[in-house]
Amino acid sequence: METMLSVKNLGKTFKGKKVLENISFDVQKGEIMAVLGPNGAGKSTTIRNIMGIMYPDEGSISFRNYQEIPRNMIGYLPEERGLYKNVKVMDILLYLAELKDYPLKDAKERALTYLKKFNLEGKENVSIEELSKGMGQKVQFIASIIHEPELLILDEPFSGLDPVSQELFKDEIRNLADQGTAILLSSHQMNLVEEMADRLFMMHQGQKVIYGTMDEVKTEYANFKCTIKGKNDITILESLPEVQRVEQRENSSTLYLTKDVKPTTWLKHLPDQIMIQELIFDRITLHEIFIDIASGKKLIEEAGAVNA
Amino acid sequence: MQSMRNSWKVAKWEIKRNLKNKTFLIGLFSSPVIIIGFMLISSLFGDSDSEEASSTRVLINDQLNIYENLENTVAERELDWEMELTDLTDSEIKDELENTEDTAYLIIDNNVIDEGVVSVYTSEEIDSFFINQVQLLKAPLQSLQMEQLGLSKEQLEVISRGIVFSEQSLDTGSASQEAEVANGDSDINSMERIVPGAFAGFIMLSIVFTGMAIFQSASQEKKDKIAEIILSSLTPADLMQGKIIGYFVLGIIQSIISIILVLPFLSWRFDLPIIEYLFVPELILLIGIAVLGFLLFAAIFVGIGATMEDISTAGNFQGMVMMLPFLPFIFIGPVFSDPNGLMAQIGTYIPFTSPGVLLLRLSILEEWPWIEIIISLAILVVSVWLFMKLAGKIFKVGILMYGKNATPSEIWKWIRA
Repeated sequence: METMLSVKNLGKTFKGKKVLENISFDVQKGEIMAVLGPNGAGKSTTIRNIMGIMYPDEGSISFRNYQEIPRNMIGYLPEERGLYKNVKVMDILLYLAELKDYPLKDAKERALTYLKKFNLEGKENVSIEELSKGMGQKVQFIASIIHEPELLILDEPFSGLDPVSQELFKDEIRNLADQGTAILLSSHQMNLVEEMADRLFMMHQGQKVIYGTMDEVKTEYANFKCTIKGKNDITILESLPEVQRVEQRENSSTLYLTKDVKPTTWLKHLPDQIMIQELIFDRITLHEIFIDIASGKKLIEEAGAVNA
Repeated sequence: MQSMRNSWKVAKWEIKRNLKNKTFLIGLFSSPVIIIGFMLISSLFGDSDSEEASSTRVLINDQLNIYENLENTVAERELDWEMELTDLTDSEIKDELENTEDTAYLIIDNNVIDEGVVSVYTSEEIDSFFINQVQLLKAPLQSLQMEQLGLSKEQLEVISRGIVFSEQSLDTGSASQEAEVANGDSDINSMERIVPGAFAGFIMLSIVFTGMAIFQSASQEKKDKIAEIILSSLTPADLMQGKIIGYFVLGIIQSIISIILVLPFLSWRFDLPIIEYLFVPELILLIGIAVLGFLLFAAIFVGIGATMEDISTAGNFQGMVMMLPFLPFIFIGPVFSDPNGLMAQIGTYIPFTSPGVLLLRLSILEEWPWIEIIISLAILVVSVWLFMKLAGKIFKVGILMYGKNATPSEIWKWIRA
């Protein structure tokens, strides 16, 4: 696999506060790489540094073998985005393509193809201000890929989209990756990322938390858990084998199990006195890992362990 | 190279976008039409006045029997004159003029043949274009002069000196009359100065007004949150330069359209050879000053525009900076009353007022103060360079700051960065 983008030891300080520290990751040709993290984790700052809109205090960013990132090979959909209000859809698309030095004729063709794909056929001569918000976002997305970029950077591409449009975007992003585009996207919508990303980089407070392929992350972090509905004594649940911790909420208890647990064996060990109205046995989702990290639970536990 | 190409792409886009915009197009044509409208209205009032009383009464003491010729010329050019022959002498004319309005008295005597000077006495109230209209009598008088003279060398010299209408104030007696011969043609000159000056001033004004659109355009970039998308393709400096170039071209377009509409009207209305007065070498310097003025204000506007999303949310600081282009108006009075005075010189050296004041002074002054011009040009060039740099720094950070306006202290921090 060819590495398209390589970020090494990125560091950035705002007003004496480290907002990025030692951030390193790669994006490879044809893969979808997701940067995850709660609001304020530093995702957009990382991306803005890659785009050369901000400059890192430490570390380096290289695109293939270029030192200076060749802007016309990169497509970018920023988090804070909009388009000029009082211009026509086709005009703005062609202008943005021209800024990327993409041939006008091809741009026109691609624009029409993508407008059709995104159910915006016939809207090319409509003024941007007449489009709905969702339509506007589709046009922004088209603008970011009109010049056939080799690396596509999408900052929160799904925010504000309805489920139908989300699917449309997801399919198209997957499609682009299959055609060989390297894709770096940031998001806080775990379910979407979980379905589509090949690798992920999770960050919190400007630092790396998890980095690896989706499978690695899942085997590493997504342990089994068992949710039991029914009134039960927490001490009994805690005394069961392979239980790391128990969370109780009203009549529902969630048992977090160790990594090596064998589901069938473990289930057989459940004592008779446990009240079970419902039982759910599944893996911790990326979403839960994310919430865990975002709310600082694990970090607090770890910190506690260190201090002890 | 790449950067220039990028700037030009932005410039082209801004030009195209505005030329497709109805509001801009309406403004483009309506402003010259409004100018013409105002002039028409004022001339309507002027005409209704003159119908009652004030055709200019021109008394001619004709000692050369050329009255009929002059009358023909006046009729041909449709001047609004009531001509009369008179044999009043210089001293008698004084009393006569003191009690009348809009009356002029020309003495056409041997002085015209020998010296090429026609003495002109006017009442205190006189049609402001009279002294220009009177120039039209040159032709018949000159042919008379030639008739009367042989064609010897010296005499040809006399002819080539031309005829001068020497305006005499009522207070000066006949004794000082001759003394004024030398600078008698100052009024023609003043028109020759004012026309290009006014023209350059007009160009500057229209470019500055278009320049304000730069402000609009820069803050729009923030409001529409497109800056980051654009900046993924080019640098902030490219974007800023592109905007300045684009709006400069739009300003030129505005000027050209205004000129095409207004100039023929002016020529028709005032019967002056405006085109001849206009295209003189001095115009290049005047336009140069106007362009420098534009660049200075363009830099200020593009920088300030990048610090806020909406003009209505402008803070005191931004508001004050926005008023800078209007600073020269403070100097108009003092400069008119004394074009070489202290205020005029101060205004010449302050970069924000320098283009306006300089244009005004050069239009009034007969003798151009070259040293002052060069110093103030130097100041202007340095200021343009400096403000472009500052604007670049402010623009780079400000344009990406969505959702809030920059405070002066933030702006100061960006400048120092």
